[in-house]
Amino acid sequence: MSAVHHSLGVAGNYPMLVALWLLPLAGAVVCWAFGPRLKAFCGWLASAAIAASFVLAVLLWGAGTQHAGNALGANQPLFSWIAGTFDFGLLLDPLSLLWTFIITGVGFLIHFYSIGYMEGDRAYARFFAYMNFFVFAMLTLVLSDNFVGLLVGWGLVGLASYFLIGFWFERRTAVAAARKAFVLNVVGDVGIMFAVFALVAAIHSVSFGDAFAAAGSFGTPLLFGICIALFIGAAAKSAQVPLHTWLPDAMEGPTPVSALIHAATMVTAGVYLIARCAPLWNASADARMLAGTIGAITAIAGAILGCVQWDIKRILAYSTMSQIGYMIVGVGVGAYEGGVAHFFTHAFFKAQLFLASGLIIHALANEQDVRRMGGLRKKLPFAFWAILTGVLSICGIPGFSGFFSKDEVIYGALLHGHPWIYATCIVTAGLTAYYMFRLLFVTFLGEYRGNVDHPHAPGWVMNLPVAILIVPTVAIGAVLLYGGEHSPWSRYFAPQFAPAQLPAVPALTELQTSGIVLIVVLAGLAIAWVRYATRAAQAGAVERLRREAERTPAFLVNLFYFDTIIDLAFVRTSQLLGTLVARVLDPHLIDGAVRELAAITRSAGTLVRSLETGLLRAYALILAFGAACFIIYYALAAGGAH
Amino acid sequence: MPLKSNARHAKRFCGVANSGGRVVPVAIGNYIALSAVMFFIGVTGVLVRRNPLIMLMSIELMFNAANLLFIAFARAWLANVGHIFAFLVITVAAAEAAIGLAIVVTTFRSEPNVDVDEVRLMRG
Repeated sequence: MSAVHHSLGVAGNYPMLVALWLLPLAGAVVCWAFGPRLKAFCGWLASAAIAASFVLAVLLWGAGTQHAGNALGANQPLFSWIAGTFDFGLLLDPLSLLWTFIITGVGFLIHFYSIGYMEGDRAYARFFAYMNFFVFAMLTLVLSDNFVGLLVGWGLVGLASYFLIGFWFERRTAVAAARKAFVLNVVGDVGIMFAVFALVAAIHSVSFGDAFAAAGSFGTPLLFGICIALFIGAAAKSAQVPLHTWLPDAMEGPTPVSALIHAATMVTAGVYLIARCAPLWNASADARMLAGTIGAITAIAGAILGCVQWDIKRILAYSTMSQIGYMIVGVGVGAYEGGVAHFFTHAFFKAQLFLASGLIIHALANEQDVRRMGGLRKKLPFAFWAILTGVLSICGIPGFSGFFSKDEVIYGALLHGHPWIYATCIVTAGLTAYYMFRLLFVTFLGEYRGNVDHPHAPGWVMNLPVAILIVPTVAIGAVLLYGGEHSPWSRYFAPQFAPAQLPAVPALTELQTSGIVLIVVLAGLAIAWVRYATRAAQAGAVERLRREAERTPAFLVNLFYFDTIIDLAFVRTSQLLGTLVARVLDPHLIDGAVRELAAITRSAGTLVRSLETGLLRAYALILAFGAACFIIYYALAAGGAH
Repeated sequence: MPLKSNARHAKRFCGVANSGGRVVPVAIGNYIALSAVMFFIGVTGVLVRRNPLIMLMSIELMFNAANLLFIAFARAWLANVGHIFAFLVITVAAAEAAIGLAIVVTTFRSEPNVDVDEVRLMRG
């Protein structure tokens, strides 16, 4: 038992924090229990619960950013399970406060949007119950002050994700996607579980404070092992190669779900985990190398695959995967502020992109294939402007939010001594510009290629959240991230992350990096323009797009064969093992042992049965014989005694 | 020990009256021999006879052999415990006879002949 407990926050009573945490759960329970009676009111109720949580988060700003001595933020102890080993409590520090803002703020906008998007759905109440439950689970994840609470939240968001991907469970593909997401996420859960085991074995505590205080004393193998275990969890949740294959499939869920869970919040849990465990990552150079490399591979792989997709939501899904790759690079190499900043801006512009694409999908009666769109600029002008701002932001056009955060990540990779990761990230930026402008041009320019005669523009309930999201998508980067070390962002996070020791002065300055990235981005944009936006490209677009789809290389159509490899390496081998057990081990070893035992018992029975003649006189004879034996024995004994 | 100290006593009382009115002691060994013979006849009866009634009678004979020993030794040692046991054995024998006869009646109600070897319901 560790005698001293290191707490990250100032311990005290914060009833508002507990209310913030439990309100979405209350909303979920009410929607679940009284859904059929509340009907359309459910959406408003669920949105109100999230809005209330958001207001509480704003009110808790002071508590979350306070510091006294070494303690940063607010710590609310809740209960003790195993005294001294596992005390559960809530922790609100700048990092979890930021996540809480996004979860409840963007979460509220998406709930509000869903009121319009899910209108008329049979399971309207169930949808909002799941959504509220998800927010509760996500808050559990980010507000927990120990690894076990984090793991509980980790599992619960996976469950909520499973519910929501499979929300339209009449569709076979949705059920398969939900199952795939759940199974791959459990792989990550198991990883974190092993990290918890290692921590309990090493320091008899699972609290963040104790673990980080002991980070220096772990020794390289143990520390790296814990980091790997945690990173497996982060990779599964945040769709990092090779555990990413569930994310594109997860687009089977309703679009608001994709926006909230599979873009803005849940999939960034891995980023949160690494940022939270910054003291562990700071102590292990191997872990930084691992996370940075995997993040860069994911960034470029997602971007390449985004270039050959035709489903608007799948394009966005691969772009999400690629952008989370950036975030993982940021927090992985040690540029925590940059990685977290990219999470922050990405939450806005990606939620906006998803919600705006939801406007299109809603207007075109669930059409998701961009080849059957085109020319929507005049039909859905609001969606066009919303997607345009989102695209400009994600591509990192200077002035937009994405520019600031992405450059911070890319430059951070160079600053922390990873030139290859840096180069990969720059190439990825060009690819991002290409596939995002491809999405924009194919969807909105040229002639309409679909068969919906009169696309109806969605109502204000759906437009309003998108309109609100445009503001941070465009401006929040300039407001918060501009100014280097003196930016509001840096001052906010200054007490959270220890200043890094940088290896050497890099060859390029941040301004030069921005210039290179901008050139690459413009090149990507130009290629997209030539291929999809010029007058020549517009002529006969249907035929051109069909040919392009046919000419896509097989390894891209098959998504680098990741599904095939996972299928061969794990699914098939498991099946083989199962067949082996079923055909050989079970019938011969286990059944054989049982059968053998039965045979032995039966033959022993046959032997003994022959004594049971049923002849009364035979029994009497045996009895008499036995008695005679006794008499003879005692007679001899009496004779011997003399 | 009691055997030795009561030896005289036993000689005086453990006997039968002869024609002259004098009590002639009968040695304890005679009783034991008679009892053994009775018991052996009983055992033989159970083993060789197939009529259940005869077998029950043979069992009674064995009981009485035991009873005879009880009484003889009680007389020889002047201890009344033997009598008590004799009564106990008589009681048990009566109960056994009742149960035995009940079994015989129920078993052979449907049987034409009376033979224990014909009844082999318990054969394994």
